[in-house]
Amino acid sequence: MDIRELKNLSDRSYRIALSKKNALEKSRSSSVLAYSGHLFKADAQIINLVQVLKQKHKSFVVLDSNDNPMLVTNPDEFLDRLISKNQEALNTYHQLYQDITTKG
Amino acid sequence: MKGVLLYCFNTEFYRYDKIAAKTVPLLKKNLKLPITIVTNYDTFKLLPPLGMVNYILTDHETGNYINRKPWHNLDRHRAYELSPYDKTILLDIDYFCFTDYLLTLADADNDFLVHQDVHDLTGKGSYKFRQNSMIQMVWATVIVFAKTDRAKAIFDMVRHIKENYSYYTELYRINFRNFRNDYAFAIALHQLGGHQNYDVIPAKLPTLPGVAKVLGINNDEITWQVEDNIGKTSGTDVHVIDKGVQNV
Repeated sequence: MDIRELKNLSDRSYRIALSKKNALEKSRSSSVLAYSGHLFKADAQIINLVQVLKQKHKSFVVLDSNDNPMLVTNPDEFLDRLISKNQEALNTYHQLYQDITTKG
Repeated sequence: MKGVLLYCFNTEFYRYDKIAAKTVPLLKKNLKLPITIVTNYDTFKLLPPLGMVNYILTDHETGNYINRKPWHNLDRHRAYELSPYDKTILLDIDYFCFTDYLLTLADADNDFLVHQDVHDLTGKGSYKFRQNSMIQMVWATVIVFAKTDRAKAIFDMVRHIKENYSYYTELYRINFRNFRNDYAFAIALHQLGGHQNYDVIPAKLPTLPGVAKVLGINNDEITWQVEDNIGKTSGTDVHVIDKGVQNV
């Protein structure tokens, strides 16, 4: 490879890295959920926590994204909302990621 | 009732009415909330027809500058009294709303929310201000507030900070000497929050810094350029710093 090709490769890698970073940040914003007046990041951590707690308790307390406590009285509904928000955001990220890596 | 409040005051250098002509239709399309624009008569005369929008005509305070150009940002503390809404989404006029993301924030019970972190869409890391003061700056670009005593106190505190800004810049060792709402709100939240943490928007503010020249905008995306690189941003709200956006 000559220096021009190497530079093109480097530029392409930069574009991919930046696009991936922006797509990931977009996904993080999209995963913010308002539920019962609280804000949550619908990420794997809260989804797993709610899934585990609902197996043991009919109602329980979780912390929102600002560490404010919220009593969960309908765990199934809350979990459904979290999962759908999470997957909505990640599906978009997945599509963008495929576009980014194939088109460069 | 929820609604959007915008400030729009032209300067001798910048035509914010032209920016409003681009951002207001996006807000209407994506949020479907009532919109109120706080402006003065000179700017109002230049605004194009924007459909159902409420206007509050008022004189703005002068005397602040950025890069030696007038900066009409001294009236933000009046948003609490001027807003006709129970829950207000207060936005900079150069916030391009491409999604309904702000509705999620307005659905929360929090009576005052701002961004604490920014995401530089150019990847240049343009906003590393942590060394510029003793406290972390917040971004007053998006403020979601309710009509509560606490929210009123925050805006009252911002007015007090504005009137005594040099004192507070010394106290917090802020090296931006011209008045900046971002710091005024950060100080107000710090003071009224008992010098502890406060609730923030759990996401970063997507921003195109001034080094990114905006090449084009449509209903879905913004095209921009930094040096030789051309980028596109779609499906996310964007705070655009480049005032050249008025002419795109």
